[in-house]
Amino acid sequence: MPAREDLNTILVIGSGPIVIGQACEFDYSGTQAVRALEEEGYRVVLVNPNPATVMTTPGIAESIYVEPLTPEYIESVIKEERPDALLSTMGGQTALNLTLELRDLGILDKYGVEVIGASVESIRKAEDRSAFKTVIESLGLESPKSVLCRSIAAAKTTAREIGFPLIIRPSFTLGGMGGSIAFEEAEFDSLVEKALRASPTHEALIEESLIGWKEFELEVMRDKADNAVIVCSIENIDPMGTHTGDSITIAPAQTLSDREYQKMRTAAIEILKAIGVDCGGSNVQFAVHPETGRMIVIEMNPRVSRSSALASKATGFPIARGSAKLAVGYTLDEVMNEITGKTALAFEPALDYCAVKVPRFETEKFPSAYGVLGTQMKSVGESLALGRTAIEALNKAVRAAESGYDGLECLELPREEEERILCSAHPRRLLSAWTVIKREGRSALDELSRKTGFDPWFLHQMANQAELESELERSGGVPSAPIYLEAKRYGISDARIAALAGIGEQELRTLRESENLKPCYHLVDTCAGEFEASTPYFYSTWGEADEGEPIGEDAVIIISSGPNRIGQGLEFDTGCTLASLAWRNLGHKTVMINSNPETVSTDYNTSSRLYIEPLTAEHVKDVLRKEGAKRVVVQLGGQTPLNMAEELEASGAQIVGTSVEQIRRSEDRQLFSAAISKLGLRQPKNRSASTREEVVILARQIGFPVLLRPSFVLGGRSMMIAYGEEELEAFLAKGIPVSPERPVLVDQFLEDAFEYDMDAVSDGENLYVGGILQHIEAAGIHSGDSAAVFPPYKSTPAVLDAMRDAARKIAKEFGIIGFLNIQFAAKDNVLYLIEVNPRASRTVPFLSKASGVNMVALAVKVWEGRSLAEQGMVDSTGYGEGRCLTGWAVKEAVFSFDRFVGLDPILGPEMKSTGEAIGTGATFGEAFAKVQRAVGTILPKEGRVFVSVNKKDRDTILPTVKELVDLGFAVCATRGTANYLFEKGIFSEVILKVHEGHPNVLDHMRSGRIQLLINTPSGRNSQIGGEDIRTEAVAMKIPYTTTTSAAAAAVHGIRYLRTGYAEVKRLPKTEKFDVSSKNDNISKSSVLR
Amino acid sequence: MIPNSYLILDDGSVWPGKSFGATPPAADSLANADVSFDGEVIFNTGMTGYHEILTDPSYTGQIVLMTYPHIGNYGDDDSWSEIGPESGREGLPGIKAGGLVVRSVYDGRVPAGRIKLNEFLKKNGVCGISEVDTRGLTLKLRSEGSRNGIIVGAGPNGDLSEEEKKAALLYLQSLPSMAGADLTGKVGTAEVSAINPEGKIHVALLDCGLKMNIIRELVSRNARVTVLPSKTTLEDIQTLKPDALLLSNGPGDPEPLESQASLAAGLLGKIPLWGICLGHQILSRAIGGKTYKMSFGHHGLNHPVRDEKTGRVFVTSQNHGFAVDEASLPDGFTVRFRNANDGSVEGIENTDLKLICVQHHPEASPGPDDSSWIFDLFLETLED
Ligand SMILES: Nc1ncnc2c1ncn2[C@@H]1O[C@H](COP(=O)(O)OP(=O)(O)O)[C@@H](O)[C@H]1O
Ligand SMILES: Nc1ncnc2c1ncn2[C@@H]1O[C@H](COP(=O)(O)OP(=O)(O)O)[C@@H](O)[C@H]1O
Ligand SMILES: [Mg+2]
Ligand SMILES: [Mg+2]
Repeated sequence: MPAREDLNTILVIGSGPIVIGQACEFDYSGTQAVRALEEEGYRVVLVNPNPATVMTTPGIAESIYVEPLTPEYIESVIKEERPDALLSTMGGQTALNLTLELRDLGILDKYGVEVIGASVESIRKAEDRSAFKTVIESLGLESPKSVLCRSIAAAKTTAREIGFPLIIRPSFTLGGMGGSIAFEEAEFDSLVEKALRASPTHEALIEESLIGWKEFELEVMRDKADNAVIVCSIENIDPMGTHTGDSITIAPAQTLSDREYQKMRTAAIEILKAIGVDCGGSNVQFAVHPETGRMIVIEMNPRVSRSSALASKATGFPIARGSAKLAVGYTLDEVMNEITGKTALAFEPALDYCAVKVPRFETEKFPSAYGVLGTQMKSVGESLALGRTAIEALNKAVRAAESGYDGLECLELPREEEERILCSAHPRRLLSAWTVIKREGRSALDELSRKTGFDPWFLHQMANQAELESELERSGGVPSAPIYLEAKRYGISDARIAALAGIGEQELRTLRESENLKPCYHLVDTCAGEFEASTPYFYSTWGEADEGEPIGEDAVIIISSGPNRIGQGLEFDTGCTLASLAWRNLGHKTVMINSNPETVSTDYNTSSRLYIEPLTAEHVKDVLRKEGAKRVVVQLGGQTPLNMAEELEASGAQIVGTSVEQIRRSEDRQLFSAAISKLGLRQPKNRSASTREEVVILARQIGFPVLLRPSFVLGGRSMMIAYGEEELEAFLAKGIPVSPERPVLVDQFLEDAFEYDMDAVSDGENLYVGGILQHIEAAGIHSGDSAAVFPPYKSTPAVLDAMRDAARKIAKEFGIIGFLNIQFAAKDNVLYLIEVNPRASRTVPFLSKASGVNMVALAVKVWEGRSLAEQGMVDSTGYGEGRCLTGWAVKEAVFSFDRFVGLDPILGPEMKSTGEAIGTGATFGEAFAKVQRAVGTILPKEGRVFVSVNKKDRDTILPTVKELVDLGFAVCATRGTANYLFEKGIFSEVILKVHEGHPNVLDHMRSGRIQLLINTPSGRNSQIGGEDIRTEAVAMKIPYTTTTSAAAAAVHGIRYLRTGYAEVKRLPKTEKFDVSSKNDNISKSSVLR
Repeated sequence: MIPNSYLILDDGSVWPGKSFGATPPAADSLANADVSFDGEVIFNTGMTGYHEILTDPSYTGQIVLMTYPHIGNYGDDDSWSEIGPESGREGLPGIKAGGLVVRSVYDGRVPAGRIKLNEFLKKNGVCGISEVDTRGLTLKLRSEGSRNGIIVGAGPNGDLSEEEKKAALLYLQSLPSMAGADLTGKVGTAEVSAINPEGKIHVALLDCGLKMNIIRELVSRNARVTVLPSKTTLEDIQTLKPDALLLSNGPGDPEPLESQASLAAGLLGKIPLWGICLGHQILSRAIGGKTYKMSFGHHGLNHPVRDEKTGRVFVTSQNHGFAVDEASLPDGFTVRFRNANDGSVEGIENTDLKLICVQHHPEASPGPDDSSWIFDLFLETLED
């Protein structure tokens, strides 16, 4: 059947800001879907307030809105665009829930919008756990014993019936939010309460525990003609009890017999049928008892998901694209798979390799949160690696996670700790199993399998590697070619082989040369070689036939940013994707290297060629050799590519843009400081201490408060602000290494300074500044965590000009060609440089969209030799600057604190946010109100505000409080503040601080008497005080401001909200955005008949 | 990897690997080897089901290359075997394939009640070779077509001398080609055997090397099944008076199977005729159609087949190196099923003559159960 003629405009809802459980996989799916729909001639309207995404790049969709994902704003969009249909399945749980809301509010009917993708009925059946259970049983399948409870009392009775441990799962939440495992009576009540609170319908399922069972996922596609295929089977190496998002997984399933697998396959298809998924993809999760093989259905998601993105990358089967086509009326046999160009989507991929996914945790940033994993997802990203064998893929994937392990490596742990980890769902469980195998060998496998729940099959593969490694260690010295080859076939890195053999990496490079040993590359073709593939999508392995011809000198290699992590996420990947599109539009070929399966950059048609490889110098150099390409871009993927620039250049690569020499200069503190003072620019006083004593001495010299930065601390760098001697002691007491090799950097901390972010593109002569963002919070809160506004809203022209001037000097001084990111701080109208990054930054996509200038395309053209002047981006003085096309644009950070129970949501110099949202508007207030809505903060239109500010903030906060009073807000305050306000003629209710007894501010918050908190303790308190208030505010979702500026901003927002408008505006499309990709590598016709 | 065994193809290409299962013969003593080590090398893209494949009589005379790298993961269990009754033919091997080629064989612990693949091959005297570049080999077979091959042991010093290679090639030249090969003599039952005697409908099943699951599917539909040797005559059938005749799957080329074809021709229009895989090819020849040898055939568990009558597409289990030439089909016989990838004939129907046959394997095992309804389609021809 051809595409539906009765549809014209289709509304696609994105998943909003990146949070744990909903990351860039939905940008990938959404972008693919938008392309698939526009191919068919539909007009696509897209709504997603996430500025970091590719999908919200002007030109990707016909009409883009970066408005909050709430019924009122979506209704405005619908009113504006009059879509015929809403594609509900591309924006994760957010879009599904929103679709249900819109339906229930009658908005869809009111405007005659048809839901396509998954019908409202099927969404209900699948998402409502008890309804789902009924369906499962009606099919003669098993689901875990469970009872849906709406109260703690009911839950208790159930607990008695089923017995502990128990799984508690709220209905309608994503990534298992609010779910938990109760091992005994004691913790039960509080856990149930939490679950009920998390569920939008205040329901939770109390469920029998299947901990330790094998866990599987099947990715299924089904069309309206009742055709269905299984795209991919995924086996979790971590057994049931660890969320699939936190589990190390492998595709295809390894340990199921054909009979078991076919049973599961048929069940999955039956389930889609029964739920009514008849035009898209779904994933179905199963648990299988390791001995009896008893199969239990866990859940299904009637939409694309994290695992469908993974499955697409693991198999080459474009699930999102296919789902979009099915949603508009095609059947599976009518849609062609572009990878083969020969097979239809009515085809089950056959793999001749293994695909392993390893989650990436923030164990260093949030140590407390990772004691043990559970049914609620906690990982912030993931890496994918392909290999011919499971062990090869596993080693590559662990390396690709960039968590400090080069592959399977031993943990140095006390035995008790090792034992604890083995017996619990722990992020390092696999590595401690490996440690035991290395120590005790094969004999340990059976017991290990019992303890960890890892299937013997996986442990056996690890044991093989352990034996190979001990051979390397025994023989020592440069290994023979066959042994080296064997080690490479296990996916072991040169660095590790060298370490095992007790030699230098260089000696292995010599061995490679003399014996002509190099990796070979295989095509991901979806069909195990049965048909010729036409889309070059590669992975490396060793000792087999090599496929694909070199792409040649002209091509540009783009190194992307690897797995999402806090500080390096979607923004960077989007830059890489846009660069690839830009280069291809200029007629060049591009090669993308990345290990992140969630992204658009790892979509097979983003670049001329795609390599799924770990982002280490070894792998990148091998790809360079294979492709015969020289030019490498390291400015776009964040810190990961930048860190390997020197090594790449040393091996003959040509680094595009700013030279490695200059990159090093800008990153070396001494050289940098020297250059800066030479330019007559100012940095906060900064010194570097190589002994503990020196830290103290320097701190005194510089004067408190000081900012302390240990060097080389894995992941989170535990930066800290010390306001006095005691804190200094406390800091040093944390056992942070201080030595000449690992100095601690001591900076003068600028208190109450304004902070700015500037992103610019330089061609070596002239400079184009995309825009200047002013932070709303004061310096001291990481640029990635503070709200920021474009254009700067509280700055003297003098300060702004000083920044422009500084930027031009720096760009020249460091011979910047391409991107330049500068963070400034202004205190008492004196400008300081906080940081200079010779690369694209997190804020590039935001500024590009707000200013309507695709800065990445701009840089690409510069790199291709077209000066900014030629591109008409600078004036006669050689300077250009973007302006905000939307009037005002505010960026707000999004945190996933609610996933880390009891974690203090205090903000500081270290980044903690997982994502960001944008709000735009004609006034600052409108933009601010929208962005707050977009991140889920509900600013009150009325009610009571709690005020507690330190002395020096009092005069600043006064007008804000006055305004709130005028707006009819009641005011309550702590004694000091209350007295001050009283003197100024404002009456406020006096309430107790947390430690002054009851009822105190917390009690008032809990009883719902407080709708807004303004609390600006100064000095050390801003860092340590008020913890309980913050934690409670997060738990209860009460807006909370720590700075007078943020409070003032909130009032602007409130004023806008009280107008009652929900205006929406299409993101301006300018000719400066041409992202239509010239697909030099895929067959044009996408539909068979 | 230090090879201790080689797969040698008839074009002289040599693929090193490590031996498992039965010990392969040395290249200079192939003639009197007492293990299976030779055959037409074909690749199968199934990611599960190696046990069912090895025991499927259709693979007689073929060395199976599994494209999925890890094989043996879940062990072997005789209750999964696909060999039919084989009454009256003692001493036939429990593995029908001539050899097994894999990238990596699992040798660790398997679930209770199962044995390791390595032992299973040893027990049945079949040679396996692992650590082979199965992808490179698959791409070669894809472009050049299937070839005969042998698995041989390495010489004393682990490599293969020129003499040994010569000897191997000499042996390979002596191997018959699959084209024109009648292998029905090597498989299937020698005696008539009755299964599920109290079944309602009486199905005669001509055993050209049938898979056990065909019988299971029929019995589950309450059929009484009489399994017949493939050389059964028209007279035998007339005395037996079955409600329908099903020609089974099996190995080799349909072209030389004249007795089977004329048997079917003799029954055309008298009783319903059904066919699966080789049976489908025989029926096609019986009605005057032609068959041809495909370059590398269809061997896998993921082939989409369209039912031209309903437009539905389902995923099927396939294993065939020969196919029916559509142009050669006489009028009145419609192509009911078609391969959704390459458009080749997947099934033929003639409602008046109550003939219906399929190229793929509705009995699956291994593979998806999506087309088990084909057996119901067969049975419908019995309704009036
Ligand atoms: N009954 C159970 N016993 C043990 N673990 C379970 C059980 N149910 C779910 N889990 C674990 O919790 C994880 C999340 O459950 P799931 O139903 O998939 O929710 P989500 O919607 O978050 O994916 C699963 O991946 C599984 O590992
Ligand atoms: N000297 C300083 N005074 C005040 N705040 C600072 C100072 N140095 C850094 N910060 C704060 O710490 C944050 C992170 O510091 P930065 O040098 O940008 O590290 P990163 O590499 O993580 O961006 C900045 O965004 C700023 O808010
Ligand atoms: Mg799940
Ligand atoms: Mg910074």
